[in-house]
Formats: sequence, C-alpha cells, structure tokens
Amino acid sequence: MSHPSELISAYLDGELHGPELKSLLDHLAGCGRCSVDLEELQRVRSAIRSLPVLELPEGVVPEADADVVPIHRNRGLWVGAAAAVVALVIAVAALVTPAPEPVSLEDLTSRFGARATLDPAFNPAKVVVPPEVSE
Amino acid sequence: MESVPLTWEEVARVYGRKIYNFAYRLTGNPDDAHDLVQEVLLRVRRGLASYQPGSFEGWLWRITRNAFLDDVRRKKRRPTSPMPDEVDRWDLASADSADTDYDRISLGDDIQKALLELPIDFREAVVLCDVVGLSYEEIAVAVAVPIGTVRSRIHRGRKMLKDLLS
Repeated sequence: MSHPSELISAYLDGELHGPELKSLLDHLAGCGRCSVDLEELQRVRSAIRSLPVLELPEGVVPEADADVVPIHRNRGLWVGAAAAVVALVIAVAALVTPAPEPVSLEDLTSRFGARATLDPAFNPAKVVVPPEVSE
Repeated sequence: MESVPLTWEEVARVYGRKIYNFAYRLTGNPDDAHDLVQEVLLRVRRGLASYQPGSFEGWLWRITRNAFLDDVRRKKRRPTSPMPDEVDRWDLASADSADTDYDRISLGDDIQKALLELPIDFREAVVLCDVVGLSYEEIAVAVAVPIGTVRSRIHRGRKMLKDLLS
C-alpha cells in the first residue's frame, strides 16, 4: 500500500484540490498510519505558526530622509576611514617638520676636519648635523 | 490588480515586520536579522525604479531570500546554525506521549533551534509558509522552483521538525 504522505502537508495548508484531495481523503479513511501522520504534522504546523510575532526593533528602518545604508556591514568602511585619517596626519606631520639646516663648508671642516678635505666622494650636502649633546 | 508600494518607505512600513520575522526565524540571530532587513530595504530601493508590474510579493520575497542566501555564502566559514554540541536537548524529550499538546508548552526556543537544524531549502520553505504566510504559488515565485518542489520541501521540513521535536 502506498502512502501519499507528501499530500498531507498540502492538505493542511488548503493547497490540495480536485482529484488529489479526494484521493487523499479516501486514503485517510482507511489508513491509520497516515491518520497519525496527519495529526502529528498538524501539531508541528500549529507549533510553528504559534511562534510569537516579533516587533521590528527601533533603528532597523532608517528615517525617511536618510540613506538606506546597512549599518553593520559598513564596519569595514569605518576602519578604512580611520586608516586614511592616520595616513593624513603622518603626511601633514612630515610636511611641517623643519628640514635640517644647510651646512657650510667651514662648519664641516671644523667638525670633520681631514675627511672633508681629503675624501673626494664626500658630499657635504648629504650630511645631517646631529644636535649638540650637552655634557 | 495588486497595488504596488511606490516607495521603499512604504515597503518598510508595510512589510518591515514580516521581513524581520522571516530573517529572524531563518538566522536565529537578532543582529543578522537587523542587517538582513536593512540589506533588503537597500535592494528594494534600488530595484523599485525598474520594478515591472506583476507579483509584488513574489518580487519582494525573492529579493529577501536572495539577500539571505548571499549572507549565508558570505558567512559560510562562520555557520549561523549552532553546532550539535551547542544545542540543548529539547525539553520535549521528556514529554509523555504523542498526545503532547504542543500549544500548552512554551516551545518557542525549541522550535527556533529545530528550524536552524533544517537544510536551508527546507527551512526557507517552511518559514515562508508558516511564518510569513505565503501560498505555495507565492513561494514558488519567490524561490523560483515549481510548486511541486515547494510542496515537497514544506512537507519534508515539517517531518524533520517533528523528528527533532520528539
């Protein structure tokens, strides 16, 4: 005996019509197993449908004149924006930091003596004078 | 002829709660449901300009389930379903017999956990039918499958829920 169990849910949902409906009703009249299935599925269906309807939390729907932008999904954008601000601060700091003072040949000679005069590869323009260290 | 909401604000007002309930029952997580509703409203706002008159509900729920599936794909390394060892055994296990009156017991949490155990196709069909209240034809349009497939998924989903809850 074949059991048209798949029709039972459709029957409970009012989605069974015509010959299929008649066929299922005829079957149910003589099949205890499918009658039990019907009762069990009816209970499960009722249980799902009795789940409480949840209210929409405040803030889920943006204000009418606001852009509809998913808030949580844009956490990455905030991280990117923060990184851009940090990069900007570093760039500005680099621009406002004073460059080393140019060094005169006389000054170099007094500080580095023989090397300034004997080393032809020595380029005084590339020398950064270290700050004076107080004793 | 079916009246069509003209703005996303109207869609939010008329369908927002239903979309949230759909999202919550599918994800089991209020934050994910929150995100999903906003994503759906964003897609509705983008899509309304090109909306062709037809089944508005079918169109809306197709957008909604597609947003959900996109989210699932994004998070597939972080499954939303609880792992088996995280799931408390159903309180129903101690119920006396098949005559248990489900309506007299607070089953909300158990049903929610059981829903999350279902394969996505079955969970989606059951939620669209029993939580959202769509007809099989509307579900078929939303999910883009034949009505026979909808019927089968709803039935098999409920059978699995019955086994999980007993």
